[in-house]
Amino acid sequence: MSMTETILRVESLRKRYDSAEAVGGISFEVRRGEFFGLLGPNGAGKTTTIGMLTGWIEPTGGRVEIQGMDLSARPREAKKMIGLVPQNFAFYPTLTAGENLTFFGRLYGMRGKALEDRKAFVLGIVSLADRADQSVGTFSNGMKRRLNIAIGLLHEPALLVLDEPTVGIDAQSRNAILESLRRLNLDGMTVLYTTHYIEEAQDLCDRVAIMDRGKIIALDTPRALIQSLGKGIIRMEFHETVDEALLGRIQAYGGITWVDGPRKRAHLETDRTAAALRELLDLKETSQALFNTLDVMEPDLETVFIHLTGRALRD
Amino acid sequence: MHQILAILAKEAKILTRDRQALALLFAMPAFFILVMSYALEGVFEGGSKSRPVEVAVVNLDQGGLGREVISDLKGVEGIVLLETVNGIPLTQEKAEELIRKGKFPLALLIPETFSERAMALSMDPAQKGAVTFIHDPATSMRLLSGIKGTIQGIILRRVLLATLPARLLKEWGAEMGPFSPFPGAVSKNMERRIEEMVAKAGKGAGNGPEVTFVSRPAQGHAPGRLPSATEQNVPAYTIFGVFFILLTLASSFIQEKKEGTFQRILSAPLSKATLLIGKLLPYYLVNLVQIVLMFSVGVALFGMKLGNPAALIIVSLALALAANGLGLLVASLGKTEAQVNGLSVFLAIILSALGGMLVPAYVMPGFMKTLSLFTPHAWALAGYQDVIVRGLGVRQVLPEAGILIAFAGLFFIFALWKFRFH
Repeated sequence: MSMTETILRVESLRKRYDSAEAVGGISFEVRRGEFFGLLGPNGAGKTTTIGMLTGWIEPTGGRVEIQGMDLSARPREAKKMIGLVPQNFAFYPTLTAGENLTFFGRLYGMRGKALEDRKAFVLGIVSLADRADQSVGTFSNGMKRRLNIAIGLLHEPALLVLDEPTVGIDAQSRNAILESLRRLNLDGMTVLYTTHYIEEAQDLCDRVAIMDRGKIIALDTPRALIQSLGKGIIRMEFHETVDEALLGRIQAYGGITWVDGPRKRAHLETDRTAAALRELLDLKETSQALFNTLDVMEPDLETVFIHLTGRALRD
Repeated sequence: MHQILAILAKEAKILTRDRQALALLFAMPAFFILVMSYALEGVFEGGSKSRPVEVAVVNLDQGGLGREVISDLKGVEGIVLLETVNGIPLTQEKAEELIRKGKFPLALLIPETFSERAMALSMDPAQKGAVTFIHDPATSMRLLSGIKGTIQGIILRRVLLATLPARLLKEWGAEMGPFSPFPGAVSKNMERRIEEMVAKAGKGAGNGPEVTFVSRPAQGHAPGRLPSATEQNVPAYTIFGVFFILLTLASSFIQEKKEGTFQRILSAPLSKATLLIGKLLPYYLVNLVQIVLMFSVGVALFGMKLGNPAALIIVSLALALAANGLGLLVASLGKTEAQVNGLSVFLAIILSALGGMLVPAYVMPGFMKTLSLFTPHAWALAGYQDVIVRGLGVRQVLPEAGILIAFAGLFFIFALWKFRFH
């Protein structure tokens, strides 16, 4: 499958609210057939970005192009290409699954047998075929997440956009959803999705854009990001402020970043995790440094994020 | 259009499944009409010390009796007399005009010959004076009859007192003679005879009371039938109920915002205007159904007469538009469901009270009456009463409908300026 055709092009996209800049001029492209991830902590601007890509939020500046069509100039045609799966359960709990699908299908001009066939098909994809006539309010969270995705797929979009599709569900439902997304992608569906789960992004995505405070701070394949930016990190917490001589011995292994003001918590970024750890344990033996904790992290997207921001993604 | 219908159908489905909302919108105003019309009517009507009724007085009497009646009336609690406007004594024309405009519910007209005829009564019982009441047909009959009764009693008493010396002279003049000593020994007998005389005067000895009371609506108002309590309560509580759409409408907007369904709808190829129209239309229709239903209750249970249907429809269409506009405004001001619920209930009740839906505006003090003109409710009620009570037609309700549409326009402009889909 060709991965060279651009399906979504975002240029200098900005959103400013009265008090703050939620998205500060981001640019990226998503190629046909790609599984593209927007990874970042809560409040990084991911949902605002999704809102601007799908016509829900008016951008302050910049440009969105979907299959070569400018979203603000030709919104009707451009929006038809996108299937949105919002973070919330965006449907009506007092209606049945079938009634919800009918409503959203009609918004895209679908009707009659074509609509009924498509409804049955998408309910099949998310394993809800036998629940069409059940009121959605009675669904479990996992079923609701699946219906949420089915509605996004209904009008056969070229690009499926999902905002944190696995939030708030148990591990089993989560795996089922990720598996169906992977299958959809293998069948040719282009997927753009946001998450703050590192493992998910690492496993699923062909490419990842890391977002923080309204900016994209890195964009590449997970492997390339980890190779170029991801070092091992040892998180250290001391009882008391550490003296300079001690620091000298640790600094031989890599850079130290202080995480707090009173210099009790620090990150050591290193290529030689094992050797650095031995040295630290040796220091602990000789009681020259009083550690509370030593926490070793192997290189992954989390350590990439720490390298770029000095903060942990999960915090 | 297809999309508007889709949104309308969805909203209608959701609404019909929300039994509580439907109960609030349909059962509540109907229940209010029943309870208030039957039970509480007398309770909140005016004419008490704290909420006096203003009565305009036109005194044309050449003698002093008219002035004495006025002085007596000034001492009555629950009535405030108005004899002048801007320092000029009221004329009959002016009083009629003020009542037509709804400034006063009642005027009292004392004719030129009032004293003269009263004094001639003892000689010739056919010489009865006539006092005229001019009233606003839109005023509650119960209220009017109470106040008219009080005024009639005071006038009859004053006429009786004024004519007492002449009557005594006529009764006993012959047997006592001008120089007879006061017959103390027969005082028991005398007391009985005075009582008989007073009773006779009150009844008018078969010719009706000593004063004739004429009651008619102000000139220019449709004459004849007076409004019933129902004809005032049904439109008032209908308007009250119509504005409860605020609650359902605004909270449904907030819910869609919160649930993310607006986000999803707007990601489909449709405009925000299409979404808004599709979303508001069902609530507009619900309002119209409410109005039809409430008026049907009035007709079926109380035999209310409706008047010109086209005029009623025009007022109703404009009223529902104003209610929907205010609903969207509430939705645009509140951030959470609790906020819009609180604001909706507050506005629905306060504006109804201010507009004269719960307590008639004519018993309110002056500044409250002025304030009521700033509610769409007061104009809707005026429109309905023009048609139902005063028998007016399409042309005459256009000003009220126009003002309601202006209210709606203001609400929509402000709401659309403030409203955010996210």
